[in-house]
Amino acid sequence: MNVLSTKTQDEPKLLAPEELTNPTWSSRLTEVVTAAISTRGLRRLGVALGVYVVCLGLFALLVLSQKANPFGVFNSIFQSALFSNGSIPEVILRAVPIVLAALAVSVPARAGLVNVGGEGQLIMGAVAATGVGVYLGNSVPGFIGWICMGVAGFGAGAVWGGLAGLLRVLVNANEAVTTLLLNFIANDTMLYLLYQPWKDPTGGGQPESRPLSSHEVLPRLFGSSINLGVIIAMVAALVVWYLLKRSGWGFALRVVGGNQQAASRAGLPVNRLRISSMAVGGGLAGLGGMLYLAGTQLQLLPGGTATYGYIAFLAAFLGRHDPFKVVLAGLLFAAIAVSAPGLQLSYGLDGNVVDALLAFIVVAPLVLSSRRKGAF
Amino acid sequence: MNGFEQALTTGIEGGTIILYPALGELIGERAGVVNLGMEGCMLAGALSAFAVGAITGSAWLGVLAGIGGGAVVGLAHAWLVVKRHADQLASGLVLWFLALGLTSVLGANYVSQTVTPLPVINVTGLSAIPWIGPIFFEHDPLVYISYFLVPLIGWALYRTRIGLVLRATGERPEVVSVAGRRPELVQMGAVVLGAALAGIGGAQLSVGYVDNWFDDMTNGYGFIAVAVVLFAAWRPWLVMIGAYLFGVALAAAGVLQAHGIEVNQYVLDALPYFVTLVALVALGRSGGSRAPEGLTKALTNSS
Repeated sequence: MNVLSTKTQDEPKLLAPEELTNPTWSSRLTEVVTAAISTRGLRRLGVALGVYVVCLGLFALLVLSQKANPFGVFNSIFQSALFSNGSIPEVILRAVPIVLAALAVSVPARAGLVNVGGEGQLIMGAVAATGVGVYLGNSVPGFIGWICMGVAGFGAGAVWGGLAGLLRVLVNANEAVTTLLLNFIANDTMLYLLYQPWKDPTGGGQPESRPLSSHEVLPRLFGSSINLGVIIAMVAALVVWYLLKRSGWGFALRVVGGNQQAASRAGLPVNRLRISSMAVGGGLAGLGGMLYLAGTQLQLLPGGTATYGYIAFLAAFLGRHDPFKVVLAGLLFAAIAVSAPGLQLSYGLDGNVVDALLAFIVVAPLVLSSRRKGAF
Repeated sequence: MNGFEQALTTGIEGGTIILYPALGELIGERAGVVNLGMEGCMLAGALSAFAVGAITGSAWLGVLAGIGGGAVVGLAHAWLVVKRHADQLASGLVLWFLALGLTSVLGANYVSQTVTPLPVINVTGLSAIPWIGPIFFEHDPLVYISYFLVPLIGWALYRTRIGLVLRATGERPEVVSVAGRRPELVQMGAVVLGAALAGIGGAQLSVGYVDNWFDDMTNGYGFIAVAVVLFAAWRPWLVMIGAYLFGVALAAAGVLQAHGIEVNQYVLDALPYFVTLVALVALGRSGGSRAPEGLTKALTNSS
């Protein structure tokens, strides 16, 4: 095959995706406005709104079927998420693991990889942090303990995610599949530790680890319940944004995700980039698990991450793998998760009702996701 | 009955709960559609079966309702994925959350109710065989039906025209289209049928195995079913073996502990996943995974 001709064939693939050109905010705004004004844009906007209204209407019907007032329920969700005492800090704390696990999906997605393993990576991060934290105990000053736990959490998550990347590169094992399997192995590992070697002897027979020593717990800030972990998560999210949008590594990932052949012809180390994207992603989720443990849970508990890894996958999907939108989606889902106990208390609805609400919110873009051309 | 035999017996009974959705997942994946929402299909099936069983007093009507419950969730997945070309993984997860929420809310009233379970029937003659009899032939009828279902599905996949079209749809839908069939319909049918089978699995759980309903009762069985299909590399007989392997692993620790042998439940639980992972690596090593081509495409282009 002629080298020159393949070059020209690949060129559009390399340069064409509009994301590569990084439009400025103003040009993007103009784009959105003109698109909205055009009739086709208006119609699509109308359809989108209609789908959301139908989805929320279905949720309202579900609530009605339980003889609860849907307006009251929506109001209660807003109250518990935004207005009641201490609600915002609680949402933010809950968002820490969800947002980081969602970014763990978005980073490999840039390289065209599907990470369904946020759950397992969160768990392994929390497990490693617990191991280090309990082992260190009071022997080192707090901030050294935080660093050690953070490194352990990030590292464990990176290993868990990187392993899937490695298997993809070495034996072409699909990473969506291996990460899913690794979730269950992670969960069983945690349960094994909690039911036997790590079980707190003073815990009254409950399957829980020893609590972290008090100075290993991430300190609260500004006299609120917000802790240092929130700041670390925000910094991590900013770093991810920078890496994906501004760094050479992020650019290379996008090229690999866009066209692997073109990437390898352009001399990019495709395999190394893929593994590193999975490892960085897994590390982010592991860090999320560590921060949730050291900031909120304070000891390892079974079911501590409570499907946050899967919720995070949906948040990443809802945010279309754009770091900023992914963070917003993560916050939204955290707010919904936080509202569960309130709905149980005041309306007698099962707490899992919020899972249905979350699903209805994500169903809407799924319905709208229709690709331009038919598959067949 | 010694501990080993008891572990196998319980393993078959529990493994059947996994076998049905695994067969369903197999059919869907052979047509090129992965359904991570099997957990949701099972929950819908389990609740429908239990509710109808409790109201009518007939577990069999319950099983029928379970089929319907699973199929409804499957239809939603099929519509989103095939007609709207939605991301398969996201759609499956969403439907899991949706079913989890809906069944928890709608099933709240059934939590403390009772149901007449499916009867345990000892197969005359066969159950008298030492060892094999008690392990394989002292169960409820859904277990026996699954014995026939596995060869039936194998035969249909490999020996009938519809099976050929289904497999071709999973590999190259364009070819099926050129041959004058409608791959979209094949995929939708496969997904709905698979989900209906998952509904039977849910029914086996709620009116055959534990005879109870509580929220999130499937506890990961649907995901295990997905893993079993991978373990089996998309072949029906291996799906059966895989389902029983997981079933025995889940049952063994409790039984062994009752007989005074200390094993950690979770080490055993993790074992089948680990074996599946090793199997995937081995398959990949031996060159060419056996995954349907269309499935691989669906799993890689999902961002």
